[in-house]
Amino acid sequence: MRRSIPAVLVVVVGLLLLVDFVLVNPTVASLASGAQELIVLLAAAAALAGAATLVLRHWLDLSERRRDPLGSGVLLAGFAVMMVAGLYPGSAGASDPAVRWLVAALLAPLVAALFAMLFVFVLSTARTGVALRTRQAAVMLAAAAVVVVLLLPIGGSLGQSLAALAGWAFDVPIGGVFRGLLIGVATLTAVHAARILLTVDRADE
Amino acid sequence: MALWWPVLLLALSLAILIGPALTEGTLQLANPDRTRAAGVQAAFDALPDDALVLVALDADLGTYPEIRPAVRAALDELLSAGASLAFVSVSVEGRAIGVAEQARLRAAGAGEEPLDLGFVTGVEAGLVLLVGDALPAGASGAIADAVAEEGGGLAAFDMMLLVGGSDVGPRTWVEQVGTRLPEVPMVAIAPTFAEPELAPYLRTGQLVALLATVRDDAAFVESVVGPEAGPTSTGGPPSAAAMLLGMLVAVVVLGRALVQALPRLRRSTPRPAAEDDEA
Repeated sequence: MRRSIPAVLVVVVGLLLLVDFVLVNPTVASLASGAQELIVLLAAAAALAGAATLVLRHWLDLSERRRDPLGSGVLLAGFAVMMVAGLYPGSAGASDPAVRWLVAALLAPLVAALFAMLFVFVLSTARTGVALRTRQAAVMLAAAAVVVVLLLPIGGSLGQSLAALAGWAFDVPIGGVFRGLLIGVATLTAVHAARILLTVDRADE
Repeated sequence: MALWWPVLLLALSLAILIGPALTEGTLQLANPDRTRAAGVQAAFDALPDDALVLVALDADLGTYPEIRPAVRAALDELLSAGASLAFVSVSVEGRAIGVAEQARLRAAGAGEEPLDLGFVTGVEAGLVLLVGDALPAGASGAIADAVAEEGGGLAAFDMMLLVGGSDVGPRTWVEQVGTRLPEVPMVAIAPTFAEPELAPYLRTGQLVALLATVRDDAAFVESVVGPEAGPTSTGGPPSAAAMLLGMLVAVVVLGRALVQALPRLRRSTPRPAAEDDEA
């Protein structure tokens, strides 16, 4: 069976970290620590490569006037402003007042505005969903409406009753469904990892 | 029909501005069931004098406004109790929020200046490395010395306050750090959507306390600041009147969509999978 290099690496690193988790051995611990440091470095390198690719792609879009040149220009300008604020000579990096101002006065309100619009878009999508997939969407919307009602910020005895019901809903039906989903995902992940470790996964052949 | 959302925005604005004056007493954002808020307070009360607390700030800019009042109340409460704080982030947006919160604490001059452990890449791998070595090169000061005396890893802390978002959250910290340091208590503050996945950790004791709904957050803020804490731009709870109005609009829209769907639900029969695929 022909194995690719990435699959072999996954098997070796996976087994090393697994053994380090269950055994107390200084040699294995130092090897595992080295592997983890490498992973951290790789993640940092991947982030840098991603940023470089993003800039390159939007630079080409802007220079060749294709796709959305205006959007590409805004993205590159924002990227440049944040880079300058964090990297100018004498800058304190992420703690620099200029970076803090950009995040607090520009980035945070923009993201908050986008999230605020979710209210309108989710309701609009819910109505479309009912038209397209009536049965599934109806169940989802009914559950959503019930949860919203249970979370209404009302005082008095009605508010206490709603809060008690909300607690029960979170603990029992919603908690149960969510836990089932998580356990299912975890089981499938474990099975898939075992298939790779036991070299029975044929995807890379 | 296209006019409904500007009208809604206007109504929400009016509710935020004049709602509290008109509806005092009839609306209550704070959860009447104070169990969760009391749990956080009990965890804070159990800390030793001069405790070292790690603040794992991995919130995101989109959902942080929901939990910001509770996070700020928790930080203020810890500092007023004499705890020393150290901030660390494994998410990019969490780092930006962490830097801003540290600047706010420094500007307020409350308690000892927090230790900045910085941003660690690699998320899960970074968390595992933090267990053994959390101090960045060049870290100095009383808090850094105290952490170094205890080995330099996360075991030096008396508690971890986990502030989560949609990317990295308390679940990742419990999985990667909690399993390696089960003796360090973990308290979590997260947005409402994370409640179902975090509640089981509270029952198993892997989290000693959890705030994960707006109403629990408001109850905790009330327990720290007092019932006079109103909606402000500096971190008070959101306007109950505006929330009620928005939620009622959501219920009306969802209810209307469901009522309109009822005739189709009665008529429709399940379509075969092949027919679905063709569509």
